[in-house]
Amino acid sequence: MKTTPFFSFSALALLFGLSAGCASSTLATDVREVDDVFKARNRRDLAVSVPDEEDWEKTAAEVPKLLAKPLDADAAVRIALAHNRDLRAAFYEIGIARGQFVQAGLLPNPEIEFELRRSTDPAQPLQADIGLEYDISALLLIPLRKGVAEAELSAERLRVAGEVLDTAYRARTAFYTVQARRQELDLRARALTAFQAGYAAAEELNRAGNIPDVDLATQRAAVESARIDVAEAENLLLDARESLNATLGLSGEQTRWTVEAPLADPSTEALPTEQLEKRAVEASFELAELEARMQVSSRRVGLARTEGNLPHLSGGFHGEHDGFSWELGGHVTVGLPVFNRNQGRVISARSELGAQRERYAATATALRATVRSALNRVESTGRRAQHYRQVVLPAREKALAETLLQYNAMQVSVFQVLDSQRQVTQTGMAYVETLLAYWNARAALDQIIAGRHRGLGLGPAGASGTSMPSGGGGSAEAVH
Amino acid sequence: MDRRKFVQFGVAAGGALLANSALGQQKPGAQGPARPAPKRAVFPGGQVAVTTPNGVTLPLKEKDGVKIGHLVAMPIKHTFAPGLEGDCWGYNGRTPGPTIEVVEGDRVRFYVTNKLPEPTTVHWHGVILPNGMDGVAGLNQRVIKTGETFVYEFTFNHPGTFMYHPHFDEMTQMALGMMGMIVVHPKRPKGPPVDRDFVLMTHEWRIEPGARRPDPNEMTDFNVLTFNSKAFPGTDPLVVGRGERVRIRFGNLSAMDHHPIHFHGLTFELTGTDGGEIPAAQRHPETTVLVPVGSTRVIEFVPNEPGDWAMHCHMTHHVMNQMGHGMPVMVGANAQKIDAKVQGLLPGYMTMGHAGMGDMAEMGMPVPKNSIPMVGGPGPFGSIDMGGMFTILKVRDNPDTADPKGWYQHPKGTVADRADEALMKADGIDPDAKFG
Repeated sequence: MKTTPFFSFSALALLFGLSAGCASSTLATDVREVDDVFKARNRRDLAVSVPDEEDWEKTAAEVPKLLAKPLDADAAVRIALAHNRDLRAAFYEIGIARGQFVQAGLLPNPEIEFELRRSTDPAQPLQADIGLEYDISALLLIPLRKGVAEAELSAERLRVAGEVLDTAYRARTAFYTVQARRQELDLRARALTAFQAGYAAAEELNRAGNIPDVDLATQRAAVESARIDVAEAENLLLDARESLNATLGLSGEQTRWTVEAPLADPSTEALPTEQLEKRAVEASFELAELEARMQVSSRRVGLARTEGNLPHLSGGFHGEHDGFSWELGGHVTVGLPVFNRNQGRVISARSELGAQRERYAATATALRATVRSALNRVESTGRRAQHYRQVVLPAREKALAETLLQYNAMQVSVFQVLDSQRQVTQTGMAYVETLLAYWNARAALDQIIAGRHRGLGLGPAGASGTSMPSGGGGSAEAVH
Repeated sequence: MDRRKFVQFGVAAGGALLANSALGQQKPGAQGPARPAPKRAVFPGGQVAVTTPNGVTLPLKEKDGVKIGHLVAMPIKHTFAPGLEGDCWGYNGRTPGPTIEVVEGDRVRFYVTNKLPEPTTVHWHGVILPNGMDGVAGLNQRVIKTGETFVYEFTFNHPGTFMYHPHFDEMTQMALGMMGMIVVHPKRPKGPPVDRDFVLMTHEWRIEPGARRPDPNEMTDFNVLTFNSKAFPGTDPLVVGRGERVRIRFGNLSAMDHHPIHFHGLTFELTGTDGGEIPAAQRHPETTVLVPVGSTRVIEFVPNEPGDWAMHCHMTHHVMNQMGHGMPVMVGANAQKIDAKVQGLLPGYMTMGHAGMGDMAEMGMPVPKNSIPMVGGPGPFGSIDMGGMFTILKVRDNPDTADPKGWYQHPKGTVADRADEALMKADGIDPDAKFG
């Protein structure tokens, strides 16, 4: 009896070859596709470069160059996009989804069964069976499963694009915080100098017998409290630097970067307020991702239904050799979808779709509210910062100048002059905090327009966050 | 300008001048240092007219045997001293109001127009008159509302030195400058006649350096002390002749303080109060007269020593301008140590008062606008480190022609100066002598 092989050897070799080719890393593709998303939005500044796997430990070439100069906010963002390891991990996570997509498109493997049997009757020949089984249902369901995986891949790509934005936003706001804390430290040190001057005056006056010990002690207490303020400000600056280091992915020698520029005054550019909500909704990666997840769920519903209703089909061929000849035949197995038609999975998938639809609506509502809130915060903090710069600070300076004149006219003491000076410093601190709130709000608004609205650190409205230098409250009163 | 317009302008301008004259007004700045009072014997018995340094006398016109005057209570701008202006209230555009000068037995009719933002009255302090003319709001009359004109008519039955002031919201109105002096010459003067007769109203104010409005709420810490509402160096000197008999009539409508007015270079006798004349037998020589709040005091003297003599309240804080009291004593402190610390923050800062305050006038430190240094007026030997209730009695041989701004020319060898070492040695004076 002549046998005819069911699969040729060459066909099997091709299948194995295809499988091997798909197993290589898709990182470059994943990065390029995310970059393409930003290119389409004219945000080339958010392009991310992730080194090949073999170079994964190396630092991107642009990072040392950027660190060599005093940092600014844009440089901090570039470093973060090139060097933040969490972001790189996110790109690898696209690969997970891509792998699942590739997996979903693979043909099911045939199953071959060999069987040898010997009878207890020595006269009986050795019997051999060979069978080949193929899951036809799985084959038929490939397009549907691939569709689900493709939607998941698309959602994952959007999620990672959002993470790119998050990383850039965190780097920018962390940089602003460093600037603010640095300025606060300078101002706290200035307040300390004022307290030290007051103490020096008190020491002299006490030595001359003009003020009692209680006044001297009060001045001393004010100085020492101001020292604590300076120490706390130093700590806050260190914390801010470390927060930025973490965001930029820096360690060791790389953390010796410097910052020179103070927080800039509020921008005088008009805010892009036209159709802001609509633009934010259109740009939202969160909504786009949810839309993709809804697509996933929708396809899962279809898959579950099809799986449930499609009778399980498998087929195969069977050969049996009884020692003398082969008996060849085929078979088809049909599972009857009588009891289990995937009703449970359909319910789950439909519920998942429903939940995501609602989440989409909720997210859109939250997004619009966040747009309005951020816009309000930018406008409010901007106006307050301008008011501090143009009105309050000059008014404090004027009050100081007038206090000095009153001192010249022997109306107030040196302690009151120094107290007025500290008020200028205190106002400077409030200005810095307001500037920080402004630039954070500005970054948040930019972030929303770029496509991300969750996790924005707008902070409490109207809080300047500064406190009076510790010794300030009672010092002037303590000495006359 | 054609002739017709010129005439109209002249009439209008003249009318304005007449009106001002009738009210005893003078434009701010028009007044200069008081020229020596001419010996005008215009009152019975050859009594001279009074001089109000830095002030004027209320013009009176006589009609049917009644002397008629007009007081307008009004907001004014007043200069206490160069550099210190106040938004005050007064009469006829000034504080103190014009001095009322009459003779015992004069029947007077005073119209009082209220141009203040609140009601007022006029109380004729020390004058014994019909009860309904006494001016106490609610007790003797209803208030003079804003825009109303009241008339007071009575007879001055007693000679003496009196005052006038509001008796409605007097805390506010007097704190803002509403007061004036009244001189009633006797019909038949007794005693030796005087050659010069001055009136000086003492007062106290609270004006924050840099502010313009005197503070009516102040109760203790007054910082501008004045003669006739002027603080030195804004006070006009009193020029008198050597050997002349001089009378000075003081009034005090300060809120809280009496003023011991001290004279240099002479002794005087207290001759009267707002209660009347002090009998000659009870008079005795003094160099300081205490002028209590709400009182008048009249002194007379004959200066025999020519020169420029200080005359001032002897409360030391009353001869300071806008002195602050809320700061620590700086005397004895090392200014360099303090400056080194403070000037790093405030380059304009300079420690003051560490060597006393006598040289404050010459430091020339910038002070708030509308405020004046605590002390300081020009003197022949440098800055006079006084302020406030301080003026100068200039005793001259030729008072009618002497320049009120001029300084006494001391005969050689009559001015204290640095001691000659040889003389010190001869007299056994060792400047390095140690004590204690």
